[in-house]
Amino acid sequence: MEYEVKLEKVGRKKSLSQRIKENKTWQKASTIVLPLIFGIVLVGLWQTEVLHSWFHTDTFTLPLINKIGGIMGDISDKILENTIATVEVAFFGLVIGSVLGYLIAMLAALYPKIGSGGLSVIGAFASIPVVAMAPVLNNWTKDVSTDANLRSMVSKIIVVTLICAADMGLNAYRGLTELKPFSEDLMAIYGAPKKITLWKLRIPNSIPYVFTALKVSVPASIMTAIVSEYFAEYITGVGRAIRENIVLAQYSTAWAYIATACLIGVVAYVVLMVLQSILLRRYH
Amino acid sequence: MKERLRKLVCTLAAASMVMGALTGCGGKEETAQATESKNLTAEEVIKIAAESGQVGNWGLGNEYEVMALLSKYDLPTDFLSQDFTMDGFDDNSILLASAMTYNELGLVQNDYDGGYGYGDEIGVIDMNDEGVAMLEDNIFCTKTFAQENPETVAAFLYASFKGWKYAVENPEEAAEICYEYGSSVSPEHQKYMATEVAKLISTNTKGESVSDIGYMDEEAMQQTLDIAKQYVSLDDAAANEAFQALTLDDIRDTSFYDAAVASDGTFNVEKKEVSIQLKWLPDAQFMGYYVALDKGYYEEVGFENVDIVSGGGDIAETTAVNNGTVDFGVTWETNLASADASGMDLVEIAQIFQKSGLVLVYKPENF
Repeated sequence: MEYEVKLEKVGRKKSLSQRIKENKTWQKASTIVLPLIFGIVLVGLWQTEVLHSWFHTDTFTLPLINKIGGIMGDISDKILENTIATVEVAFFGLVIGSVLGYLIAMLAALYPKIGSGGLSVIGAFASIPVVAMAPVLNNWTKDVSTDANLRSMVSKIIVVTLICAADMGLNAYRGLTELKPFSEDLMAIYGAPKKITLWKLRIPNSIPYVFTALKVSVPASIMTAIVSEYFAEYITGVGRAIRENIVLAQYSTAWAYIATACLIGVVAYVVLMVLQSILLRRYH
Repeated sequence: MKERLRKLVCTLAAASMVMGALTGCGGKEETAQATESKNLTAEEVIKIAAESGQVGNWGLGNEYEVMALLSKYDLPTDFLSQDFTMDGFDDNSILLASAMTYNELGLVQNDYDGGYGYGDEIGVIDMNDEGVAMLEDNIFCTKTFAQENPETVAAFLYASFKGWKYAVENPEEAAEICYEYGSSVSPEHQKYMATEVAKLISTNTKGESVSDIGYMDEEAMQQTLDIAKQYVSLDDAAANEAFQALTLDDIRDTSFYDAAVASDGTFNVEKKEVSIQLKWLPDAQFMGYYVALDKGYYEEVGFENVDIVSGGGDIAETTAVNNGTVDFGVTWETNLASADASGMDLVEIAQIFQKSGLVLVYKPENF
């Protein structure tokens, strides 16, 4: 009898907020609702110019959202053209860089004598600022083609490649080498040759690390593509459009391109997350 | 094991080569054939360079004269983005490169430190001769600032003009003064720059000599605005409409120039500490302000402190003036007009360069 009473008392003590906190449905919903509320509040503050008074700026340098949206609609053709140019560079750089990085990691894991040096080299490359690397590569790729568009593309892709290769190389190396101790022993007990250990153990073990690397290098590839467009010989891309418009004091148009850059980043990240959830299903 | 790894590496290498080949699908164009003839007209040179897509300019608002020139000869207005060196011209990736008479042209011709030493071998196409000249360095501030501080504005112009006058008459000394105030280039190049800048101050687009420093030539300003309206297309529809509707009266005010010229040098300055934002790095392009500062001309008219703020490739001088970071600025008429069209409150108060300093340079052996 007494026992039951106690339970009831405990139940009554729970406040409304506590009960909401413990509600499973709310816990799930809150991961969507809270960021959404934050976003709506931010948009509200922006559109009502409260943000402008906080940061002591004006609607000229920080145009209102409806104005930015209007311009994005008006010049959607141009934006699409520039977006394609930027995404191409980011995508090819990401793919080539990631493959290269993974290969170097594999070399380092299998033949530490040759490969570990490679890891340090790409690590060093990645620490060169893009603003220093882009103009240099621009000059190095002058002989690639007589077509300025093509040689600019090549130089931009190389910059993105170097950045992405380092991310992938360093992460994949951990995935290929940091194995669960018993699994390595197990393979040894079975007398598995090196290549079987590679295919059945090392490579599967590295897949989650590959995605960790991609989570960093996907946004980085887009950022790098945008920055290297600043220096490219051939005038195209979202980054170049942002620069041109800011220098000409066309902030509304510049913001339209900044918004585009954000959209590219978000879409690329969502695509990556979807891919990850499909490919890594058996790990969870 | 090794066999398997080798196969894997080979497959991946092949895959990346295929990808590389796919990105390389763009058509390759033949470069212009070198011919023996070196007596080509400017028009022929421009046509050859434009047709092989090898005309260069920095963009970022510096491109309109080149676009006007290209469409004068019914050519496509595309150009390559030139960096802030003349390497593209040197290695022939740009056949017809943009150069300012007072800067890049000197680097290309002269062989002092940082120069390319081509001497007189190169061909030069002058925008003034081609009738597509647009006015460059001016002095501007916001309309509000000008209204609230009329004496300050007139005094600043008076002292700056005095500095410019001295600099034009003594370019060598002006170059030395600029060099002392944090120069971005060598002393030899600084001297070259000062001599060339002096020419831009004292001759107009038609080649006539001008004695009034800061004079706002109606015809040249109108020509600049007309060319700008033809080639500037702003993506913001509202701003573009406003740009097309601009008249000279919206972007310049001659009353401060008149007041400065008529003054005997005494002013009742409202704001004793002012600053001016340069369009580029500190060098002889802005020698007038450095001379005025060095010789104390600003103090003579009642300023306690004048701050000359260095610019650079990505400095938006219009924004700096509009948001009050600095009081005055140096920009080009087109930049000021497009800034005003998108909502800024700027007005030109004096025109320092009386003619275009932009030329296109080429190596005759490439044509």
